[in-house]
Amino acid sequence: MQTLRKAAVIGAGTMGAAIAAQFANAGVPVLLLDIVPQGAPSRNTLAEGAIAKMLKTEPAPFMSARAAKLVTPGNIEDDLAQLASCDWVVEAIIERLDLKQDLYRKIDAVRRPGTAVSSNTSTIPLAKLVEGLSDAFARDFLITHFFNPPRYMRLLELVTGEKTDPELAARIGAFADVSLGKSVVRAKDSPGFIANRLGVYWLQTGVIEAIDAGITVEVADAVLGKPVGIPKTGVFGLIDLVGLDLMPHINASLSATLPQDDAFHGVNRDLPLIRGMIAAGNIGRKGKGGFYRKGKAGKEAIDLTTGEYRPAEKPVLPELAAAGRDLRALLNAPTPAARYAWRVLGQTLSYAARLVPEAAETVDAIDEAMRLGYNWQSGPFELIDKLGVDWLIEKLQADGFTVPPLLAAAKGKTFYRQNGTETEFLGVDGAYHPLHRPAGVLLLADLKRGQKPVLKNASAAVWDIGDGVLCFEFTSKGNSLDAQSLDLLGKTLAVLPKAHKALVIYNEGQNFSAGANLGLALFAANIAAWGEIEKLVSGGQQVYKAMKYAPFPVVAAPFGMALGGGCEILLHSDAVQAHAEAYIGLVECGVGLVPAWGGCSEMLARWAASPGMPRGPMPAASKVFETVSTATVSKSAAQAKELLYLRPTDGITMNRYRLLADAKARALSLVEGYQPPAPPVYQLAGEAGKLAFTGAAEGFHKRGVATDYDMVVADELAGILSGGPADIIDRPTEADILELERAAFMRLIHQEGTLARIESILATGKPLRN
Amino acid sequence: MKHAVIAGYARSPFTLAGKGALARVRPDDIAAQVVAALVARTGVTPGDIEALVLGCAFPEGEQGLNLARLVGLLAGLPQSVGGYTVNHFCGSSMQAVHIAAGHIAAGAGDVFIAAGVESMSRIPMGGYNVLPNPALNEKVPGAYIGMGDTAENVAKKWGISRAAQEAFALRSQKLTAAAIADGRLADEIVAIKSRAGVVDKDGCPRPDTTAEALAGLKPAFDLAGSVTAGTSSPLTDGASAVLVCSEEYAAKHGLKPLARILASATAGCAPEIMGIGPVPAVQKALARAGLEIGAIDVVELNEAFAAQALACAQDLGIRDAVLNMDGGALALGHPLGATGARIVGKAASLLARSGGRYALAAQCIGGGQGIATILERI
Repeated sequence: MQTLRKAAVIGAGTMGAAIAAQFANAGVPVLLLDIVPQGAPSRNTLAEGAIAKMLKTEPAPFMSARAAKLVTPGNIEDDLAQLASCDWVVEAIIERLDLKQDLYRKIDAVRRPGTAVSSNTSTIPLAKLVEGLSDAFARDFLITHFFNPPRYMRLLELVTGEKTDPELAARIGAFADVSLGKSVVRAKDSPGFIANRLGVYWLQTGVIEAIDAGITVEVADAVLGKPVGIPKTGVFGLIDLVGLDLMPHINASLSATLPQDDAFHGVNRDLPLIRGMIAAGNIGRKGKGGFYRKGKAGKEAIDLTTGEYRPAEKPVLPELAAAGRDLRALLNAPTPAARYAWRVLGQTLSYAARLVPEAAETVDAIDEAMRLGYNWQSGPFELIDKLGVDWLIEKLQADGFTVPPLLAAAKGKTFYRQNGTETEFLGVDGAYHPLHRPAGVLLLADLKRGQKPVLKNASAAVWDIGDGVLCFEFTSKGNSLDAQSLDLLGKTLAVLPKAHKALVIYNEGQNFSAGANLGLALFAANIAAWGEIEKLVSGGQQVYKAMKYAPFPVVAAPFGMALGGGCEILLHSDAVQAHAEAYIGLVECGVGLVPAWGGCSEMLARWAASPGMPRGPMPAASKVFETVSTATVSKSAAQAKELLYLRPTDGITMNRYRLLADAKARALSLVEGYQPPAPPVYQLAGEAGKLAFTGAAEGFHKRGVATDYDMVVADELAGILSGGPADIIDRPTEADILELERAAFMRLIHQEGTLARIESILATGKPLRN
Repeated sequence: MKHAVIAGYARSPFTLAGKGALARVRPDDIAAQVVAALVARTGVTPGDIEALVLGCAFPEGEQGLNLARLVGLLAGLPQSVGGYTVNHFCGSSMQAVHIAAGHIAAGAGDVFIAAGVESMSRIPMGGYNVLPNPALNEKVPGAYIGMGDTAENVAKKWGISRAAQEAFALRSQKLTAAAIADGRLADEIVAIKSRAGVVDKDGCPRPDTTAEALAGLKPAFDLAGSVTAGTSSPLTDGASAVLVCSEEYAAKHGLKPLARILASATAGCAPEIMGIGPVPAVQKALARAGLEIGAIDVVELNEAFAAQALACAQDLGIRDAVLNMDGGALALGHPLGATGARIVGKAASLLARSGGRYALAAQCIGGGQGIATILERI
């Protein structure tokens, strides 16, 4: 089952409310219930308050305003009967067994048999949760452990009990995967499940090893973060983010539930420093400060020995430079920082090896949990493979650490291996097993193993993804677009019809594409290579148009950022299959330019054809002016539809892993009887329209919303969107608008104000508001 | 020459554009319900009506075509009744009153409905296709100036401080709140049917606003300016209508006239300071009526912006005690085409209520104009 008719979340705290929001994002109506506080103005006050708060939260729990309307607030005194109409009830109340069980009894009394009930507990074992409850309840009960924030964190740990109906667990797992977009990892009913069990051990080890070895928080985070492929918050920055106040609770809970011989007890020390920090309200980013804080004079860090704040230092660590990308070299270096990194990582990897099969059936479950739950680039077993199993065993032994059985058994092997095109992992039985992707999951990384690209250059590659479909992949830094990527796209369009029938534009980088390579544009401008710039502008226009009018369907599959030229490629595709987390925008005005690879012409045509647009030359153009002049970027694929960066008919895929398969299916669905689109004609107002736009922009300028240079850029954009010299009775063509785009772009790139904006974005990543 | 009288006044609730209770109601539907109610309340014989003269500032989309005729048909007026639409921007429905009075004086009809409507939710200010003439913009740069900018200009030129504007806005809110609380507005309101239910209450007033809240607002039009959302009338949806007929007709048919139309005028000024437009218009009208401002017992001066209303009151020497006694557009809202008929109807009703002799209704008009009407109690 991939659709639920209705869901309910009980507990409108941060997690519960945001889980409800994710149901709504998936298009499922959801009840959000909580208790009725004494003397509350409204009986639904907690749920209502949570929804109102979420509408203001950034990053937003809701993908669209429409989604927010799918959440109905209620309370457990008046509305419990409504659970009878729900297919899945998620409990996310306070972590108290008695209260949870109390609630379960009430739920069990009203729910339909077969309605799944799951807990979002992170600390209470499933066996305890269902103790004393009916068999029927236990059969329909499971743990679904979401990570915070649930919209953005892709991990979902799913725990079943002995009595849980496997069919029901599969159904909930499939829904969480396909509709909620989560990567579902099956965890055993063991304390902390997977990610937090290992993550907390890692954090705790990181803290005590730093205190013991006199390592500063800055050094600790610098050496344990980026070099290991862990977010740069490292250990201390992450604790600040999560909140120091949570640490004693989590530690106490793990300490009370983990077996006596668990290595966690060895690192779970009472730390007066942390106790003091919590008492002083220094509980992290949500408090006055944490291990780091923003002081008056800049960033400050706490001294782990004195507990006093001091100015933060940028660590100087020559061992990092010396090791380069060789993690093993870093961990072998004879310096205090390197030794610290080794002791923390060595013990953490060793602990990970003890979690199979105790916390998870397979190593890849642990790896996935850490990749998606803690944003590690590689999971612990992938890290072990990088370091070498034998190397790790020897180094652990040399330092007097015990080698866990799973690691010892892997001696002379790796945890993962390639068998032809298939990836296999090492099981607890000592044999290799193929890593199965769920049906409907297609990864380019998998497909690329064991095949050569159809075409390739320095900025892009083309892969055969089967069934007559080619995949165009950006490979440049940041997937930025340059002459090479355009050139390869042109070649692809030329060769595709010979043996293939459709094209998908997709990649597996951090972002779909950040747009045209601004560094190259700035360089060309600095050496006055205007001809080169002009060639790139018109070259891009030509290739994008060739793609639009190619005799086969093209489907683009964006995820993350698709900006500028990366957005324009979507606008020229026959269809888009977007990941729900797609941040799409024509941001050119932010860098003092205008969309010039057909962004203006496509958006004008889209808005003009949009149902309900009033007639005349201005309504559609006004919408485009509003969106483009403010460099608006959608905060989700759903919002991109509102902005018409995506068409109403474009698809949205919730699970990132399913994007390529969905895009390919979409492309294949368009093959039969494919006709390229008919070119649009425009009706624009010419000078009068331009005056209306610039007049409106002047108002924003006066109000202090638009800057001086915004007015220069807005003037150029206004010229394009009003059709330049067009008269209201003319019908300009696509080529006319493209010419206006090109000319405006070239005028702007000559200007100081534009170059200053580009320099700023390249140097600081922030737009200059000149 | 026949004298025209105001023999009835009704209006819809005025509600906030975009989020108010009338946002989803078509403007022709709002106007038709008000017109039908006015006919029913006054008891005028529908077949006697010469024409429905309907003011609207942006007559396009759902306010397009010949809106007056369509509203007449919707309201169930006999097909024999004429209908024409008048655009004098914010002065549109006061202009409709003047046209009716003029026709009556000229012997070109005895009974008219002068009405006005604006849905600022459904038809954007400026219309869907704003197409200024570049040549005119060159020649008269203020021709297309934004209304907020004109308010800033007036505030500067007449030295109306931000504090004074806010005090005036607060006055408007308090007077409106008191009028609503005392039920003084109930009689003029026609409940409007909408899909979501009946709308019978004004939606714009903010009775709980405070001087501190107003002082905390950011300038709405100019970062360095003094005009805020609190001292500007809100974008509003609504309709209004008055029955205008000859004095003889009223007497013969047993209608109850509220006031006689004594004089009217319209006048132009510089577009950049359009808010001062009422000053020359009122001066002309007073001269035509042979009156001094001191003789006026009731003044309805539209509050497009606090700055312009204060500047006009200052220049004309209007006493505070007679000015907008039930509050004004800063609180109640300003559905452009509907305001003129509202303030004429309101001034006539206030005359009847207060027992004064003369009343004045005046308003400013975008593009640099003013319009004024002087009434006398019968």
